[in-house]
Amino acid sequence: MPVPDTPTRPAGTEVVTIVRAVLRAMRVTFVNLFRKPVTVHYPDVTRTYPNRYRGLLALVYDPKTGEEACIGCRLCEYVCPPAVIKVEMLKGEKRNYAKTFSLELYACEFCELCVQVCPTDAIVMTRSFDMPTADRREMLLDKDRLHALGLQHQPSWATGNLLREMQGPPRMTRSEAHAKKGEETPAGETA
Amino acid sequence: MLAWLGPFIAPFIVLNAVIGLVTYVTLLERKFAARMQSRVGPYRVGPHGLLQPIADALKLMMKEDVVPTAADRGVFNLAPIVFLIPCMLIFATIPFAPGLGVADLNIGVLFFLAVSSMEIVGLFMAGWGSNNKYALLSAMRAVNQIIAYDLPFMFAALVPVMLAGSLKLSDIAAAQQGLWFVFYPVIGQLAFVAFVVSTLAAENRVPFDILEAESELVAGFRVEYSGMKFALIQLGEYAHIVGSSFLGALLFLGAWAGPGPEWAGPIWLLLKALVMFLLVTWVRWSFVRIRVDQILALSWKVLLPSTLALLVATAIVVVWRHSAGA
Amino acid sequence: MSTPALARVELDYSGGERLTMNMGPQHPSAHGVFRAILTLEGETVVGVDAVIGYLHRCHEKLAETLTYAQYPSIASKTDYVAAMTSEFAYVLAAEAIGKIEVPRRAQYLRVAMAELQRIASHLLWLGTWCMDMGGALGGGATIFLYCIRERETILDLFEALVGARLLYGFYQVGGTRYDIPTGWAETCRRTLDVIEQRVAEYEELLEQNPFFMARASGVGVISSELAQEVGIAGPLLRGSGIDFDLRRAAPYSSYQDFQFDVPVETAGDCFARYRVRMQEFRQSIRIVRQILDGLPDGPISSRPGLKSVAQIRIPKGEAYARVEGPRGEVGCYLVADGSAKPYRMKWRGASFSNLAVLPHIIPGHKVADVVAIMGSVDPVFGEVDR
Repeated sequence: MPVPDTPTRPAGTEVVTIVRAVLRAMRVTFVNLFRKPVTVHYPDVTRTYPNRYRGLLALVYDPKTGEEACIGCRLCEYVCPPAVIKVEMLKGEKRNYAKTFSLELYACEFCELCVQVCPTDAIVMTRSFDMPTADRREMLLDKDRLHALGLQHQPSWATGNLLREMQGPPRMTRSEAHAKKGEETPAGETA
Repeated sequence: MLAWLGPFIAPFIVLNAVIGLVTYVTLLERKFAARMQSRVGPYRVGPHGLLQPIADALKLMMKEDVVPTAADRGVFNLAPIVFLIPCMLIFATIPFAPGLGVADLNIGVLFFLAVSSMEIVGLFMAGWGSNNKYALLSAMRAVNQIIAYDLPFMFAALVPVMLAGSLKLSDIAAAQQGLWFVFYPVIGQLAFVAFVVSTLAAENRVPFDILEAESELVAGFRVEYSGMKFALIQLGEYAHIVGSSFLGALLFLGAWAGPGPEWAGPIWLLLKALVMFLLVTWVRWSFVRIRVDQILALSWKVLLPSTLALLVATAIVVVWRHSAGA
Repeated sequence: MSTPALARVELDYSGGERLTMNMGPQHPSAHGVFRAILTLEGETVVGVDAVIGYLHRCHEKLAETLTYAQYPSIASKTDYVAAMTSEFAYVLAAEAIGKIEVPRRAQYLRVAMAELQRIASHLLWLGTWCMDMGGALGGGATIFLYCIRERETILDLFEALVGARLLYGFYQVGGTRYDIPTGWAETCRRTLDVIEQRVAEYEELLEQNPFFMARASGVGVISSELAQEVGIAGPLLRGSGIDFDLRRAAPYSSYQDFQFDVPVETAGDCFARYRVRMQEFRQSIRIVRQILDGLPDGPISSRPGLKSVAQIRIPKGEAYARVEGPRGEVGCYLVADGSAKPYRMKWRGASFSNLAVLPHIIPGHKVADVVAIMGSVDPVFGEVDR
């Protein structure tokens, strides 16, 4: 099995090459000494998270009527890969509601599939992950908690209809949702 | 009645000053390294991290003292102390100003070199007493490496000794009034480079830190130490580095010579020692380490013959200067 | 499972000079959870016994319980360092069985993300390899932090596109899930310029550096015969002189539309593999630039608008789809039975096959070389254990 030879005494020119290479390497680190550090001093300073950031999940209210947007259809419960969502439907006269909606955030994969399937743009992800806790039970979010998170943090751009529309021609138009978010093309979104 | 305390005062002051300096030198290294890596280093503990070393010291003091069950208790417990004592003892011969030092021995340089080689005993005790294969491997490498590099270290340090004609450190410092030995044509620079390289290797600094080699041996001989014992080992290591930096400043960089009044001498010495320390740190954070057989080959095949040749050349230069000059 | 492996290791303390040392699953440079039982004679390794399985998470069984719509988000977790690659292989397999056309814009976007992911993965490789060789408190950490600094800029690109930094869920059967936002192409171009310049800086820091060369050249030589026998792929193969790249040999997702070179080195040692990966940086940058210049318009998915979990059904059939990942050939063998869930899915993990070369090349080297070789083989144990 070939084993690398240990170095023997270098010739004169080799010494020069070695010295020059060593100095070149040290120069690179020296140059970096004067570059601005890239550290962001969290939590005193936070960086801005992009529009599509997949942060904490939240339930939102319908912007036009002010009611809960969730109709308890359970599509998110079925699509969730780790099955962290549990919904019970409450039938109403005009529309359905979610009687209970629980989301186990400690097991959530933040894959955004639930957001993608939601027909009413009820569940969204927010532009923040700020929920430090010492007790995992606090991360079992019930419906009230999810609505509170929706009011507390800024929702990301992505909602069900926008994501589905981005992928192809709209099958289900909800012109109210589009008008609310402004003029957008499938290749972008407003600030 | 307190007259018998007299000889203890100077060492006490020096020891405490050294420990304080060594702890803050770790902070300097961390900030310097951080800046080279586009980050900021310790920042939150105290303004810009100035209280970080104190926090580290307190933490280490409060940690649980863990001794592995199958470890050789006597050897294991004694090793950090045996390692630390030579590293502290080297400061006995360093004069911080003309006449200001614990003991300015006639054989200052020899004492320094002899005592600093003794830390290998503590190192090996640590590796052996831990009853851990990683530690043992590291200890065996340590014996090889430090013995191999103590010789070029001595020869490189002997070049200023020959140029000054004395082993006494204050004499060597005085002999640099005109020209610092590092600026001595060819011989000075080569000796300085050999000194820095040997220092790096004798103190287990990258690129020669195959002993610790976090990515292979996970802290090597120190792997089973935690808490105050680890603090002692860390203290010893950094004290050795700082001591060698002081030695380098005394031997090569003109000691306490510098513009300004006489009493600024120790400050200049400190600054020069810090420059040497930063040079060592700069090399440490720029290079990957090399393998132990390559380290040993570098020492025995390259550094030792070169420093021997350098010594002979210095001898010739000194004799020629004597016969031509005085 | 582990008993046969242990039975082969000779635990011999009878006064002989062999030491059995465990480079255990908890190790700073095990690149994940990898256990190597090394038999040492002094400093030289004479035997290697690899024990894997510490990260097994039953991906293949999981795929049988998740639908084609759900699994791509999970596929990221096999090779978590280069997440886009695994998703790519899975959706290609599903599309091959179902004969699903992918729109051209989606194909170009897929290639762009795969190449950006290659750059990000190689940056991580370079950083961790140098850190293994140089120590977390030493020169290795410096290069590691530089590489991570650059990798973060690419992850920012992914974050603007997808919303996530490490595990994406970008691919879906029929195309991609997301389209690029406005301004993304500009940021991408700027990022690529910076990375190109910084890669040159790393090369200056490392090449001809005597310490680095002493650690990397001549170490871990894989001869081209061994490479072909053992079944490795990717930069390991190309570093041993074999010119084989799936993007050339079996182009998928319109790779044939792009101009790029496939770097090949003949030395077969760690330095050769390093050279191959450094040149792959530049070629990937080249491909992404071509895509940004010529991105066609159109839909991004031929099965748009996921509205229910069982929406995508693939008819009966089987297919094996292969993708040139940063570590080698990532393959997904899928057996579909007409429902919304596959009947069987098998991953060919690139790192799993690459690890087979270790017992052939490590013996004879010193302990320190084990780390260097492991680093240049660049395994990711999510892929090995799945």
